[in-house]
Amino acid sequence: MTFELRAREIRKSFGGVEVLHGVDLDAVGGSVLALLGENGAGKSTLVKIIAGDYQADAGAVEVDGVSYPVLSPRQARDLGVAIIFQEFQDAGTLTVAENISLGRIPNNHGFVSWRGVRDRARKILDQLQVDIDPEATVGSLRVGERQIVEIARSLSGSARLLILDEPTAALSHVEAQSLFEFVRRLRDQGVAIIYITHRLDEVTAVADRVQVLRDGSTSLLTRVAETDRRAMIEAMIGRRMAEVGRPTPSTYLVPDRPSLAWRDASMGRAFSGVTLDVRPGEVVGLFGKLGSGAAEVGESAFGIHQLTGGSLEVGDKPTVLKEPVAAIKAGIGFLPADRKAGGAFLVRPVAENVAIANWPNLARMGMISDRVEARALKRWRDKLSIRSRDDPRQTMGTLSGGNQQKVLLARWLERDSRSLVLIEPTRGVDVGAREDIYRSLRELASTGAAVLVVTSDYEEAVQVADRVYVMSKGSVVAELRGDDVTTGQLLAAAGG
Amino acid sequence: MADDELSGGIGRAAGEVLETGSATNEAVAPPPMGRRGKGISVPETAALFLVLVALFAFFTITSKYFFGPDNLVNIFQNVARIGIVACPATLLMIGGQFDLSVGSIAAFTAMLMAVMAAPVGITKTPFAMGLPLEAAFVIAVLGALMIGAINALSVTVFRINALITTLGTLAIFRGLTKVLGDGQTIRIENFGDLGITRVLGLPIPVYIFMSVVIVSIIVLRYTTYGRSMYAIGASPTAARLAGIRTNRAIAIGFLLSAGAAGMAGLILLSQVGGASVNANTGFELQVVTAVVLGGASLAGGRGGITGTIIAVLIVGVLANGLIQLGVPSFWIEVANGVLLLAAVGFDQLRIRLTTSTA
Repeated sequence: MTFELRAREIRKSFGGVEVLHGVDLDAVGGSVLALLGENGAGKSTLVKIIAGDYQADAGAVEVDGVSYPVLSPRQARDLGVAIIFQEFQDAGTLTVAENISLGRIPNNHGFVSWRGVRDRARKILDQLQVDIDPEATVGSLRVGERQIVEIARSLSGSARLLILDEPTAALSHVEAQSLFEFVRRLRDQGVAIIYITHRLDEVTAVADRVQVLRDGSTSLLTRVAETDRRAMIEAMIGRRMAEVGRPTPSTYLVPDRPSLAWRDASMGRAFSGVTLDVRPGEVVGLFGKLGSGAAEVGESAFGIHQLTGGSLEVGDKPTVLKEPVAAIKAGIGFLPADRKAGGAFLVRPVAENVAIANWPNLARMGMISDRVEARALKRWRDKLSIRSRDDPRQTMGTLSGGNQQKVLLARWLERDSRSLVLIEPTRGVDVGAREDIYRSLRELASTGAAVLVVTSDYEEAVQVADRVYVMSKGSVVAELRGDDVTTGQLLAAAGG
Repeated sequence: MADDELSGGIGRAAGEVLETGSATNEAVAPPPMGRRGKGISVPETAALFLVLVALFAFFTITSKYFFGPDNLVNIFQNVARIGIVACPATLLMIGGQFDLSVGSIAAFTAMLMAVMAAPVGITKTPFAMGLPLEAAFVIAVLGALMIGAINALSVTVFRINALITTLGTLAIFRGLTKVLGDGQTIRIENFGDLGITRVLGLPIPVYIFMSVVIVSIIVLRYTTYGRSMYAIGASPTAARLAGIRTNRAIAIGFLLSAGAAGMAGLILLSQVGGASVNANTGFELQVVTAVVLGGASLAGGRGGITGTIIAVLIVGVLANGLIQLGVPSFWIEVANGVLLLAAVGFDQLRIRLTTSTA
């Protein structure tokens, strides 16, 4: 019998806000459904309801003709629903075979049957026609192989519906190709597959049908053969395409000589052959989804990662930055993607958070006073509209995310860094603070600073950048300027 | 290696954030943490001070010898060694590190000096050198710093965590102390000044203790070095990205700790007149107890000298008071262990409260 799952009229609210407004979804054995949509469109919530992780507020999930208004994770698993998440949920120190039998090890009266463990692994790996050594330690596998082991595990537990959550996010191009082939083979074996992604080319590569979610409703549901990229992009972002404004060009006369430039730069498997430059007086966007290598390019300007090929030029000179200290001395400032782990000292005073990078200049004979730090905070508090109490001892952790980010920006202004690299500068930042940060970056550029904004948010790229480089799978695939910088163009370039 | 680890952390962290998507973004802004996280807060030190006063009162009432000038000097004399080591230990703890090898460093340093100064041929150990006291002293101090350098190298370059590193050096140098002394107590002549001589009624170690306290307070509050240790303890990655040479700062911390431990060992050598292979066992426990009790967090980033000093006095007063009451000395070790567990338990509670609100 062919597997059939039908979700009907699914509604779900979080904290009084409805995120799914009565969505239908059909998954049928032997067919791949691509689930497409922006962050926050409701894709994850929908599949988690199907897998029993969340309970729907209204509506029901019907499997093989039986309707389940409430579905527990246990029930869903017994019905054959399995989700493969982006983060691995495997035991990295154990072997492939052990992982495949994880949680249900074949045994004789409590003694592990190693033959059973091996046989089960061999059988499922053969069935999937993959060449992975069952005795290899999972942690030693490549990311793509590791993903396949997870899939093998769930199939060996007799999964009939496989939900893949952006499975290529961390894969190289070659690995992604073999994954597609693998997914098609699973489909031909009768497995139902829901494939979550926001990459359009993947939709065409693996899916039979495509369903687009926008703001909690289905905006497009059709056979892949009957639609095109443009229709899918429009379904994803809708009228919002026109909403974001472009920045007013910098008043600073942009010279030809760049402040920061990558020349045919490569770094391991993260990116290769990247050439781009950032000149004084401009804000440059580097747009790319997770795993595109964009973040790593940005980090390589701050001595966090070392290039393995090509060169980084700082002020026209090829430079090797061994560590952040060297980058700071070269006039570069850096805001990491993870503010909490890499930027803010939450238990320390706000003023210290501003002054710390400039200690070498502020200190007198190795001594630094609270007064000096308080003055540093005062210099930037109003300019960046940092909303903190008029108390330099206030701890950083008491500020909102947006204000923390402004403080970190102030850190590099205080240090007088002339080149700034920001990774996802407005993630977790509310709209008001976001506008403040964009305004500050534009002002900074108009005083001749060079700003590189690495982002996976195309609206951010459109709103703040003079020019945008688009990265996909470790390479720069497009450079957009002026009026060409639109959300649609960015999305099309990144998907291709 | 250090680079890989830190940058790997950033890469991972970036990935995790990306996946949360926009639905959870609103939740990222942390709610106000209130009084939490201000370093050592005034009420906490005050509470510690009250405990000290209460102990003082208790022992004054229950023992007629406790509150006499001789005994008070005695208490100071006894806590001086703990205090001298507890100050750099606080610095290390604030930076998220700690040093369990201080007892072995103290014993090794004392033995090294005693052996260097021991007359050749008369003493049993084959390592006796018969050097003048000054030369023996300098060699011993260098020996202490060498152990600090080994700890520093292991933690910063080889990335072996501080617990394992200093447990290792604890064992190594306790063993080498026995090797040096051939398992015997080695006597030293004419080296009583450092530990016993009194100036204005107080023994020299008390002055050393007070100088170390004053210097430590200044270092922690007002120097970029001390402040960078707070930053490293609060977030090592963020500290590195803010341009702090984290390895260098931590290495200096281990050198200071070893130097202080060596000094503490030499003071005991001077007081006792000989280096014993079992001297200073359990010393690290007293030091760690004082530091944690004083409010320095095992998670790093918080703490201060004031708290540590009060805690050192608590440890000293408790030990002394129990002796005055005629409690057998074995029980003092028990009391010390209980105090350590209580202090750590309290710290864990504090960490939980801070992280659950952050």
